[in-house]
Amino acid sequence: MPVGKPIERLDALEKVLGAAKFGADIKREGMLYGVVVRSQKAHARIHHIDTSQAQMIPGVVKILSFRDIPGKNRFGVLRKDQPYLSEGYVRFLGDPILLVLAESERAAREAAASIRITYGELEGIFGPSSSALSNVKIHEDGNLLCQKKVIRGDIQKGFSTSDLVVENTYQTQFLDHAFLECEAGVGFLDELGRIVIISSTQNVHYKRKEVATLLALPEEKIRVIQATTGGGFGGKLDMTVEGYVALAVYHTKRPVMIRYTRSESMLANTKRHPLTISYKTGATKDGRLTAIQVRVVGDTGAYASYGEVVAQRAAVHASGPYEVPNVYVESLMYYTNNPPCGAMRGFGIPQMAFAHESQMDEIARLLGIDPLQIRLINGLKRGASTITGQRLTHSVGYIDTLKAIEPFWRDRRKGDWEGYGLGSMYYGIGNTGVPNPSSCYLTLREDGKIGFHLGACEIGQGSDTVLLQILLQTLSVGPEGVELIRADTDLSKDAGSTSASRQTYITGKAVQLAGEALKGYLEEKGFYRGRSLKEIYLEAKEEGRILFEGFFDPPTTPLDPQGQGIPYATYAFATHMTKVEIEPATMRCRVKKVIAAHDVGRAVNPVNIRGQIYGGIAMGIGLALMEEFVPGKTLNLNNYYVATIKDMPEVETILIEDPEPTGPYGAKGVGEPALIPQAASIVNAIRDATGMRILKLPCNFERLWLQRLSGGT
Amino acid sequence: MHRIEFTLNGERLELDVEDHMTLLELLRDRLGITSVKEGCGIGECGACTVLLDDKPIYSCLTLALKVRGRDVKTVEYLSLDGRLHPLQEAFIKRGAVQCGFCTPGMLLTAYSLIQSGKKVDEDTIREALSGNLCRCTGYIQILEAVKDVAHI
Repeated sequence: MPVGKPIERLDALEKVLGAAKFGADIKREGMLYGVVVRSQKAHARIHHIDTSQAQMIPGVVKILSFRDIPGKNRFGVLRKDQPYLSEGYVRFLGDPILLVLAESERAAREAAASIRITYGELEGIFGPSSSALSNVKIHEDGNLLCQKKVIRGDIQKGFSTSDLVVENTYQTQFLDHAFLECEAGVGFLDELGRIVIISSTQNVHYKRKEVATLLALPEEKIRVIQATTGGGFGGKLDMTVEGYVALAVYHTKRPVMIRYTRSESMLANTKRHPLTISYKTGATKDGRLTAIQVRVVGDTGAYASYGEVVAQRAAVHASGPYEVPNVYVESLMYYTNNPPCGAMRGFGIPQMAFAHESQMDEIARLLGIDPLQIRLINGLKRGASTITGQRLTHSVGYIDTLKAIEPFWRDRRKGDWEGYGLGSMYYGIGNTGVPNPSSCYLTLREDGKIGFHLGACEIGQGSDTVLLQILLQTLSVGPEGVELIRADTDLSKDAGSTSASRQTYITGKAVQLAGEALKGYLEEKGFYRGRSLKEIYLEAKEEGRILFEGFFDPPTTPLDPQGQGIPYATYAFATHMTKVEIEPATMRCRVKKVIAAHDVGRAVNPVNIRGQIYGGIAMGIGLALMEEFVPGKTLNLNNYYVATIKDMPEVETILIEDPEPTGPYGAKGVGEPALIPQAASIVNAIRDATGMRILKLPCNFERLWLQRLSGGT
Repeated sequence: MHRIEFTLNGERLELDVEDHMTLLELLRDRLGITSVKEGCGIGECGACTVLLDDKPIYSCLTLALKVRGRDVKTVEYLSLDGRLHPLQEAFIKRGAVQCGFCTPGMLLTAYSLIQSGKKVDEDTIREALSGNLCRCTGYIQILEAVKDVAHI
């Protein structure tokens, strides 16, 4: 049976041959190149733009401004507050102003560099606390993007019955996705005169909607196709090059390519939200949590992007995978003149896990309870309620992840400057308390194959392979009988975004349901008794039944103003145990070993899942120890450090399968859970090795040395 | 413009290049070999890795002029005989490929190491591949694949 097998990735062959076509690999006859001119000021009015020199550069075809936009000059996944091209006012260093089109990329870049813009600088706001207090308004409605709450029980009573209260404030940094492939795409007119865009993206259907609004054209006049995508991690969910490509094709009627250099990518791309997390935890002396009071203040930068989602998710997951009777969480997100922050693998929860897991270890230490034991005491079990009042009735494998880690934990042997730490997490799969549907369809075809029309974007994580496995399992056919047609708005239905670890669970279920619909028909027509699909196709055509659809929207309820409700139909659970070694002379921390236990519901493809976990660990090492984006300073990978192969520890993975009844064959999701507990387990291991409690990330060796010099703890 | 001749994947080529043209631009833009990727343009990520006289170099930092009279290999070389190289097979089998953007460069660096005849162990593999970044895999399955081929 295909589900549960380490089937080789569908796209691996073309990728090892170097034959896969990424956005920047596509060439069209007579193609123009576009370059976006970006603001060099963080907050300013534009006084004057001089393009005279640029116009004279040979090969320059057009220079477009906001005046050339036929439709709406605004985009945004939830709140449409971001202009494609500035209307005379810029809100961050990198805000787009003009689009230069030329016959060659060299000419376009030269022209873009020659444009002179004079600014009238305005007072900038570079942190949420100044944003809250300032009279300077970044957007008309004010600087507070949103405020989310989760309130449960009686917080005063909770603390008054506590034997111990631990209070700390944690601070995280801006991060860049640093996918290896920078944003790129091409556009052209098809034979019907429609605009076609082929780009590196995580969501083709959303991008078609935005382009239609930008150009004031009906959606049918736009076709978006996903190119092979070199990583996303949330950074290719928002509009990147698509709007500019579409606008350029609209005006020139010629094929156009736009590809960002790394520096452009780092300027333009959304970032992970820096969060300041003030966390107060109460516990009884036998280690039971009585109350948490958490205030999260985030910096969403110049535009909303996924800021509200991050604020909401941070609030909902504030406790970590523990039962807490009394809860007061407030999560605020402010606009600033920093780069816009958006979705990045985990939507705020890797930051929250850093805080709640540090708190758990501090409580355990002060009460003299083993860190694993305190997690066992408080951990979510079947029948327990989350802080949003959701009673968990199924697929709650958290305690199993602890039990799986326990033998390794009991067996740990610590040398000088070595330490061990635990990090746990739970993570709601899919969007938070809002409809979150996915659709797909199958067709019977003349050539005797089954057409598998999938709107989900494969971004490297392996969804094509996993979703095909689910289909093959459902239909009891081999892969040779199916042809995958993927992420093309003309040839697939909206499967929602590749985000929130949702494709295996939600689209996977839609695929299973489509498969079951087709299977019923095939059974009726004698396919499983030996009739061929070509024969059945002819009959199906007669009957007008060649298309079989699957649709799934997980059962959730909206959150009420107190943040109570059922925001997710299912949760993933995980625990990582990490061993670190500190080099005392440099205070450099090396991660030596990680044991990662994940409840994935059902492991559809164990090799893929291991790949997700390893990749998550690499990113978690970055978050904990080395990655930090500084606006205006980090403009390439020479000073934005991501983990190399030499930074990777030995890793052991343990897969727990507590099946999710609403998921396809019991499966949940793993993409973000793989990352979330890693940084938390590293800082707890550093505490074990050095006695120093880390409150600010990244704790690179400079920061660790400073903390050691200033007295340690 | 300068006339250069060099060997690309076993084939002799002669063409004119501009002074400022990088080897990356020559391969991608002029010759259409898009397996060579640009990830950073400043020699940090290794996606543009090609072999120059069988040693890995960053083609984004190498002028096209510099390959005059020399031997250049891209990932296409590994399967020129119509069969996958054992490294390519091991990458597929081990799940060492996710988004695939780093894969051609990663394969070439690994190939160079395996071909070098040096004694190979896990540390030498890590050292050799440390100039090739991957943001998806966490490198472990890449390491497993190279170890398989190196028989360790």
